[in-house]
Amino acid sequence: MADLLQEIEAQIAGAKATATKQNVGVIREVGDGVARVEGLSDAMLNEMLDLGHGIAGLALDLDETEVGVVILGEYTQLEEGGEVRTTGKLLQVPVGKGLLGRVVNMLGEPVDGKGPIKSDVAYPVEKMAPGIIRRRPVSQPVQTGIMAIDSMIPIGRGQRELIIGDRSTGKTTICIDTIINQARLNKAAEAANDKTFRPLYSIYVAIGQKQSSIARTIAVLEEAGAMPYTIIVASPAADSATNQYLAPFAGAAMGEWFMDNGMDALIVFDDLSKHAVAYRQVSLVLKRPSGREAYPGDVFYLHSRLLERAARVGEKYGNGSLTALPIVETQAGDVSAYIPTNVISITDGQIYLETDLFYQGVRPAISVGLSVSRVGSEAQLKAMKQVAGQVKGDLAQFRELAAFAQFGSELDAKTQAKIDGGKRIVEIFKQPQYSPIPVEVQVAVIWAVQNGYVDDVPTNRVKEFQNKLTEYLNTRKAELLQKIDDEKGLSPALVAELKAVADEFKQTWK
Amino acid sequence: MQSTKQLRREAMQLFRLCLVEGLLDEGRARKAVKKVLEARRRGAFTVLSYFRRLVRLERSRHAAEVETATTLSAALQASVLANLERLYGPGLNTSFVLNPGLIGGMRIQAGSDVYDGSVRSGLAAVERSF
Repeated sequence: MADLLQEIEAQIAGAKATATKQNVGVIREVGDGVARVEGLSDAMLNEMLDLGHGIAGLALDLDETEVGVVILGEYTQLEEGGEVRTTGKLLQVPVGKGLLGRVVNMLGEPVDGKGPIKSDVAYPVEKMAPGIIRRRPVSQPVQTGIMAIDSMIPIGRGQRELIIGDRSTGKTTICIDTIINQARLNKAAEAANDKTFRPLYSIYVAIGQKQSSIARTIAVLEEAGAMPYTIIVASPAADSATNQYLAPFAGAAMGEWFMDNGMDALIVFDDLSKHAVAYRQVSLVLKRPSGREAYPGDVFYLHSRLLERAARVGEKYGNGSLTALPIVETQAGDVSAYIPTNVISITDGQIYLETDLFYQGVRPAISVGLSVSRVGSEAQLKAMKQVAGQVKGDLAQFRELAAFAQFGSELDAKTQAKIDGGKRIVEIFKQPQYSPIPVEVQVAVIWAVQNGYVDDVPTNRVKEFQNKLTEYLNTRKAELLQKIDDEKGLSPALVAELKAVADEFKQTWK
Repeated sequence: MQSTKQLRREAMQLFRLCLVEGLLDEGRARKAVKKVLEARRRGAFTVLSYFRRLVRLERSRHAAEVETATTLSAALQASVLANLERLYGPGLNTSFVLNPGLIGGMRIQAGSDVYDGSVRSGLAAVERSF
């Protein structure tokens, strides 16, 4: 017994209380979501700081005498003289499949009232984009389900395609349609137990939007059954500018997890104009020098480093991809403004939506002349490439001729036929919102248009013809659609079959 | 008229001139303040108020405060001083403060580094863990 007591006493005597070293600073001033802190000599750039009261901050400015900290959360409890501590951690968010079906804020915390997020992995919000060696060219398509896009401006997995246009021209709708179509394809592949299919998960980042708009988007996605494959990162207009500035980076981190783990993801930034405004606000309160339109000098780098994180990586690195669909809102159709030109130059193409077309009833209001996809055609389905190769040129020619036809001069038969053909294609591409069309149906319909099956159909009945043809294909010729889907290309045999089906349908059409 | 930024830059230059081997020379600092006031230049007060802030920050960078719940023995004080000098080099302005609020243990702040081995901080950590 005595030995034991001696042993315990010796252990107590030998035990040393450990005092961990912490780096602290003192708040000099606080306001507008930003604090300036003296001290903090060891703070790193983008390091999470503990401001006390459970409030976190992010070190954004490391000056000679102080640190500029943006406050993540409620800052009214903070006061001058308060203690700030470094944490040694960079800002990070939870990632993984546990986030699918959830609505989270910029810190990855749930805001949908469905309980805690199940995730044991976290990714830093700011991360270097994959380098040249890790990347490989875009080769697989993202089927948006929007006929005009899939045929003329195809998007590939790993591409960055800008959606640009004035307010209320259907920018968000295009992205929501794309998300819905991915969910439809994912579900179909799961039901068919298709092991070769690579599901595409979606991330929708809402920046500075009205809460009501975000709620509406969530309701649409839930109704379409797309939420189980979607993560929503919400940073509404009521959020602080800091949260709005960081939200797309948090969303990109969540997308990168899918890419790093050999999966495919799609991220929608809705929208980067509001993101630039939020960043301008943060920069101005941090007293950074301002440049054109009061945006800080690094606003280009802000968007380039964000969009560069979208990539298709090589097989050695998991073969995953992250496709980005950034949205930019223009004022009165001015694509030469500061932020639109910046983002246009960073992305691999843009889909330009026109107000005039929208009010003429051409929806989606895609301007064929100004829209382009720089890399997507490499990824386009072979069958679609075969049937839609000419469409873009035909439509561009139609727009030019239609402008001349407005003068009322008499037109020769050939020109008139071109204009009529163009009008029919425009009718075919009209598509209601939230109803994506499967790619095999798109191929069959465009094939029918290109081969003169709608030439004798009056323009005002083209849509009706298309709907009936689609119905006919879906109900009676499902095996033909399946063949197009399986073969991916149009073989002579398949073309003959398509011709027979189109002839058969044409006989019944009145 | 000079901008605030320009005046701050001048204060920084003035401050740098008062450093000798990386440490603030108090004699030089006093002389610099006197000269600026004598020159009666526009913006002198802005320069000097920023200069004062730089001096304050410099002093706090080279100051250490040792807080304890009870008075330390001379031997323990000497040991603490020796350890601080080993970590931060000579020229550290150390002061010993009695703070019963710590309940027990010791809290040392040297510049912006804090070593907190007090009972109060231990209790706070326990509270946070709940």
